[in-house]
Amino acid sequence: MSDTTEAIDPDAPVTGMDYFMSLHYREQICPVVERFSAELMEGRITGHKCPQCGLVYVPPRGYCPICVVETTEADEIVANDRGVVTNYTVVTPVAYYGQEATDPFAKVSIYLDGGGSLSLQDVLDVPADEVRVGLRVQAVWAPLGERTVDDIGNRSWGSAEGAIQGWHPTGEPDVAREDLPNQGGF
Amino acid sequence: MAAQDIAIIGYAQSPSWRAADLTEPQFLFPVISEAIERAGIDRRDLGFTCAGSCDYLSGQTFAFVMNLEAVGAWPPISESHVEMDGAWALYEAWVRLQHGDIDTVLAFGSGKSSPGTPSEIYPLQMDPYTITPLGADPVSLAALQARAMLDAGIATERSFAEVAARSRRSAIGNPYAQVSGEFDVDALLAEPYVTAPLRRHDLPPISDGATAVVLATAEKAKEVCERPVWIRGIDHRIEAHQPGMRDLTTSASTRLAGEKAGVGDAPVDVAELSATFTHQEPLLRTALGLGDDVEVNPSGGALAANPVMAVGLSRIAEAARQISEHGKHRAVAHATSGQCLQQNLICVMEGD
Repeated sequence: MSDTTEAIDPDAPVTGMDYFMSLHYREQICPVVERFSAELMEGRITGHKCPQCGLVYVPPRGYCPICVVETTEADEIVANDRGVVTNYTVVTPVAYYGQEATDPFAKVSIYLDGGGSLSLQDVLDVPADEVRVGLRVQAVWAPLGERTVDDIGNRSWGSAEGAIQGWHPTGEPDVAREDLPNQGGF
Repeated sequence: MAAQDIAIIGYAQSPSWRAADLTEPQFLFPVISEAIERAGIDRRDLGFTCAGSCDYLSGQTFAFVMNLEAVGAWPPISESHVEMDGAWALYEAWVRLQHGDIDTVLAFGSGKSSPGTPSEIYPLQMDPYTITPLGADPVSLAALQARAMLDAGIATERSFAEVAARSRRSAIGNPYAQVSGEFDVDALLAEPYVTAPLRRHDLPPISDGATAVVLATAEKAKEVCERPVWIRGIDHRIEAHQPGMRDLTTSASTRLAGEKAGVGDAPVDVAELSATFTHQEPLLRTALGLGDDVEVNPSGGALAANPVMAVGLSRIAEAARQISEHGKHRAVAHATSGQCLQQNLICVMEGD
């Protein structure tokens, strides 16, 4: 979509057309995500630990895709709200319809101490170009009363938006690359 | 080169829900496990996996990647995806087996129609310049097709209602069906139109669900399966995208696919047809040359359960069930894609 409106020559051949549309979806939150959300409201990040391989899934999925076994509330663990940045992407916004961001921003993956990881997280108070792998961070919880889980859905890809405002550097030394956790151990 | 003999050795379906509270990978999970278990193979025996689903339906880009979690994709597997009904995933899996280097494949289809609004989503598969902006939804287009059949004198509203009543009666006892029961044709005809000349009973339900089928080469099938269901012919054909360019009272692509798949080469005992609207059943029967002696949709068909992206593969699974569990010898399954039966797939199956 262009921001400028050009004068249209009524006699010129039609070479294109704008067609703006929106799609609306309303999906019931699945039971494991519903429970994950309720725990977030209490200030706890929960996951399921696979009874077979021990991998921790945050949020829980109700199964381990590696072992192909179902997981249940019996496999629930409370994960740590501290961890280390294991990967990141700096997004440079381009102007498109609906894009509100203008400055580059970073989204990071965080491996939580003891197991489990969250992706697409924000690091607070660190410029996008200083975000790095190995950075030690801790969750900044939204204050009780302001905390919501309204944006967490079945397909939030590990989001804790609304409950966790972002992640703040702990001030500890960075974790060396060779010491970074390799969750799968593959 | 003649096609290799391929058999269906396992199949499974989820129930058909109006709105599943599970995610698509969550309800796919037990379906895939059951199909593999029924096939009597180990998951690691699968040489190839092909899935059919639609991201627009799910409302999520790359939703099909998440669905793979239900397969067990570690260690890495060889897989593919079609943005089509799982019946076309089965077709690709069948082609893959023809290569001769692997002996077992998995095909599955899944979809959640409940979160979205069909009248918003479906116009997007139409011509984006002339038809999508009109908001041409499937019910309106199906109503045009039904009207064309009425005008041509080849069907009546009563004959539509009779298809609905018979399908719902057949669906009694089908654990995967969503709409079933005894219905009086006169009572159905007393109901108001949804979009004339279609009434509610002429429309399929909105469904969430999944289906999985395991195929194997002849050698493997004989080794692991007591009653393999042999695929004797499979073919799919497509017609013009513009509904206005077709004769909607017939289905040239179904007729052609049926001929290529060999429907008429021997008597047919039973057929499972993806007639998602009542008027499409007589239309498909005619296109395939199925006589009155052929039992159609003993499962209740797409009018009883319509998990979009799985419903065509369900027809193949249900036709296979007629052979492996109900003693039928020769069955025909039909799947469709697009508006007003634009694209059609025919699969002919036989028992030993």
